[in-house]
Amino acid sequence: MAEPRVVVPRRDFVYRLAVAAGVSAPVLGLIDGTVSAMPKSEETDFAVLEASLALEHEAIWTYDAALARNLFPAGLRPYAEEFVGDHKGHRDTQIAVMEERGGRPPDAYATYDIGRLASQEDALHKCLEIEIAAQDAYLAVNSQIRTKDYLLSAAFILVDEVRHLTVWRRVLGLKIY
Amino acid sequence: MSPDRRRLLKTVALAPLALALPAPRAEAADYVSAGQVFDAIDGFEAEAASRLRRVAKERGGARTFVQRALADHERHRAVRARHRRRLGLPAYALKSISEAPDPSLDGLRAAQEALVYAHAEGFPALGDSLAVHDLMANMVDLARHLTVLDLWLEKEQARG
Repeated sequence: MAEPRVVVPRRDFVYRLAVAAGVSAPVLGLIDGTVSAMPKSEETDFAVLEASLALEHEAIWTYDAALARNLFPAGLRPYAEEFVGDHKGHRDTQIAVMEERGGRPPDAYATYDIGRLASQEDALHKCLEIEIAAQDAYLAVNSQIRTKDYLLSAAFILVDEVRHLTVWRRVLGLKIY
Repeated sequence: MSPDRRRLLKTVALAPLALALPAPRAEAADYVSAGQVFDAIDGFEAEAASRLRRVAKERGGARTFVQRALADHERHRAVRARHRRRLGLPAYALKSISEAPDPSLDGLRAAQEALVYAHAEGFPALGDSLAVHDLMANMVDLARHLTVLDLWLEKEQARG
């Protein structure tokens, strides 16, 4: 099977998804490579949290939309349910971190423009794309996290994202090693 | 991925942070220095490599995966060696890696998981953003290997 329908360079594609999700400017710089580091500060942690939450909201919306439209084949639906559960866990953890520090977590948008979502193939490709964005974004921003407890959780969240991405790549017949 | 592992990751990822630390596994490592983290990763990598070699010997279909995983290990070692030098840490004395006696996929999976966890649990002790970034990229490779093993195990279980 062909590579996913990502016809722009991967970094551009991830950047575009991050913009659509509402990721803020300083973190977008990390994702697109124009910023190599941010100062280690509470503000940076908040910026990373806001960006991560924006992407988690978009991932949840995408999975929920595909599940509601019954777009996953029966054998793959348990993976989709598991993965959206993971994303909801990541969201809740990071909301708790922000609130614990006196921050105000960003709300999810009412809807996301993710393009066509009408077939099994659409659903699998959208989920793959959102997982690529999540993995690349977490990899780009996690090293900027200042606090040790959040860094530990963010590392385990990234492990989850890698699993999701690898499973969808396998399902779509793409190389996984 | 085993249900136990999923539960564990969820525990780590979902626990409110005030409750999540110290790390929630009873056997979780609580690294205190970068040197300790690098040493642990080097040790777990050697264990995983010995099991990879043994599994490849027993299962011909695993050879390509094992070759690629071992090539990733080699690249990862170079990354760690560079950061050891940057951080003024002693070089790791790589011993020759023999084949593990246990050929089981479960044993390999456990060793692979320990290697992934050593990365995740080690980041807070590294104290260096560049090292965190580069070792996190290595962890992505290793988490992918772990998922490959999980999918493999799922397939074998489905076959009975």
